[in-house]
Amino acid sequence: MSAIELRALRKRYPPREPGGAPQDLWRGLELTVGEGEFVAIEGQSGTGKSTLLHVVGGLDRAYEGEVLVLGERLRGLSDARLAALRHARIGFVFQSFNLLAELTALENVLLPDYFGDGVPDAERRAREGLARVGLADKASSRPMALSGGERQRVAIARALLSRPPLLLADEPTGNLDARTGEGIIDLFRELHRDGMTLLVVTHEVRVSRAASRVLVLREGALFPDPRLEGSA
Amino acid sequence: MKPARLWRLANANLSRELGALAVSAGGVALGIGCLVFFLALGRGVQRVVRDVFPVSARELEVVVPQVGVGSLFGEVRLDDATVARLRQVPGVAEAFPRLALRVPAVTRYNGLFFGREIRMGLEVVGVGISPDLIGGDARFPFVDAGEDKPIPVVVNRRLLEIYNKVFAPQRGLPTLTDSMLVGFQFPIELGRSYVAGKTLPGSYEASLRLAGFSDRAPLAGLSMPIETVRRINARFGQDSVGYSSVLLRAQRSEQVGEIASAVKRMGLDLDESERNRALQIGAAVELVTLALSLLAALITALAAVNIAQAFHAEVRERTREIGVMRAVGATRGDVATLILAEAAVTGICGGALGVALARLGGLLIDRVARNGLPQFPFKPDTFFDFRPSHVILGVVIAVAASLAGAFFPARAAAALDPARALSEG
Ligand SMILES: Nc1ncnc2c1ncn2[C@@H]1O[C@H](COP(=O)(O)OP(=O)(O)OP(=O)(O)O)[C@@H](O)[C@H]1O
Ligand SMILES: [Mg+2]
Repeated sequence: MSAIELRALRKRYPPREPGGAPQDLWRGLELTVGEGEFVAIEGQSGTGKSTLLHVVGGLDRAYEGEVLVLGERLRGLSDARLAALRHARIGFVFQSFNLLAELTALENVLLPDYFGDGVPDAERRAREGLARVGLADKASSRPMALSGGERQRVAIARALLSRPPLLLADEPTGNLDARTGEGIIDLFRELHRDGMTLLVVTHEVRVSRAASRVLVLREGALFPDPRLEGSA
Repeated sequence: MKPARLWRLANANLSRELGALAVSAGGVALGIGCLVFFLALGRGVQRVVRDVFPVSARELEVVVPQVGVGSLFGEVRLDDATVARLRQVPGVAEAFPRLALRVPAVTRYNGLFFGREIRMGLEVVGVGISPDLIGGDARFPFVDAGEDKPIPVVVNRRLLEIYNKVFAPQRGLPTLTDSMLVGFQFPIELGRSYVAGKTLPGSYEASLRLAGFSDRAPLAGLSMPIETVRRINARFGQDSVGYSSVLLRAQRSEQVGEIASAVKRMGLDLDESERNRALQIGAAVELVTLALSLLAALITALAAVNIAQAFHAEVRERTREIGVMRAVGATRGDVATLILAEAAVTGICGGALGVALARLGGLLIDRVARNGLPQFPFKPDTFFDFRPSHVILGVVIAVAASLAGAFFPARAAAALDPARALSEG
């Protein structure tokens, strides 16, 4: 079974000016991501890469076509079922770090445990996760007291708390310096080795090099990237 | 969502929005404070009114109607037979006849009065009452002792209050307690009036002995055993059969209406002047309390509007965080619950603060009244009657107002499209 299947995926935005034609973001995307694959997606700004991740993660439901994620046909799921799917089986990492300012690093990692049925053994897992991203000693720091790289690592530890089989990441290294970015790419490699499916939007060649497949979103369709294909 | 987790998240958000939420909670506190304050004041003033004009909800005073010329035929008299019939009226528990002293009387006292030389002459209004009415309030036997023996009298306790608060201070007389006075004897001259300036044939001197104070005794005049009054009236050739009025006590206050109509069917009338005055004052206090409570409700409603604005602003500001929560598994319901929990906490704080403010305001005013106002009869220790039910009502309304204010913001937060929320900023 494939982890992600997109069939004739279209996204339509309302017309820019009143009376104009609706904006069609894609021409009908087709994509199959196998279990355990690490797929990188590149593309110019505004081609809809973030939108694609939101659709795959069930955060954006206004689309045409078919989306199957981890065996579930998203269109048929209720709000609660979608929330449960995100809770237990999908991890999100965003470009800007999106931590809750009033919670400590540990509490931010524990955030998924606040919802649904919680996460088994959450606190121990959260501390392990922080240790894995090298932040064991920052558990009780507030986001304000963390550097950009540290915040992104907290966000990654949060995405991994439920041990999801699928990780969606939107330019995870976009705001980081080269060295910090390298640490995160190493972590993704490790997750990939452990069998996790990764769909990562990126501008960075270093990230794409770590991927098992690289696609480019251009003119409303996905194309294989000939430069990097199969280099990992 | 687990309550402890919900609490932690709500708390985190509240601590960030402390400034705005303190304003919101302050508004709620003001409204609830006014509400609880006015309710307690209303109840307190009602209680003072009841002390000043005590009416029993279970009692009626039956009198003979002021007869017109046409109804002379078949006139009803308040004699023992009528009293017996009144006792038979369904719902009547007891009937106490009253008989006015129908001859004038004066008392004169020249001599020492608790260490002061006083000279006093007073017209006496005497009322004969049944000893059962005052029960154990008399500390000396309250029965007719016969000619030449001191006549036991009982005085309404409120007269002592008026004496102590007004009469005594103005004349430099000592303040008295009932135990100082009970047993005190003073002369009475029956059949004589200073005001009318006349003395009836057969007037004679007797003495009175204060047998006790009672809330049950009529306010006006000195209460004597009914047999004594009957004897004196007869001695002066006055009617010795009919009573002046009969006090009826109902078994339950709900029966008073039925008893009243039964009494009227018997051709008798009711003296409701005292009762009506007390009811009117009570109704006026009730009305003012209601008006002030409505004002307080208006303030609370404005506080709810303020909460709505504060939470709308908060939701706008936290759009991205709400998106993040949705991304890690929060449902729409979780988001709404979180906002409403924050509103509930705001309401509880505002309500508790309001109740505390009301309490404090009450203490302050009582203190000012105690030290700043002159003594007057029935001056109460407190003008307020705070009840646990007021505290509960205050907090419940505060929470309800906060939840109402946060309702639309919570709905808006739940309806946020997570994808757009995450793209924002
Ligand atoms: N709510 C919306 N209404 C109308 N147009 C929208 C809306 N949201 C996004 N778009 C448009 O959809 C397009 C794709 O947006 P998206 O954020 O997915 O691009 P992206 O590929 O992630 O760009 P970037 O590389 O800059 O992050 C953009 O042209 C954007 O203007
Ligand atoms: Mg983007």
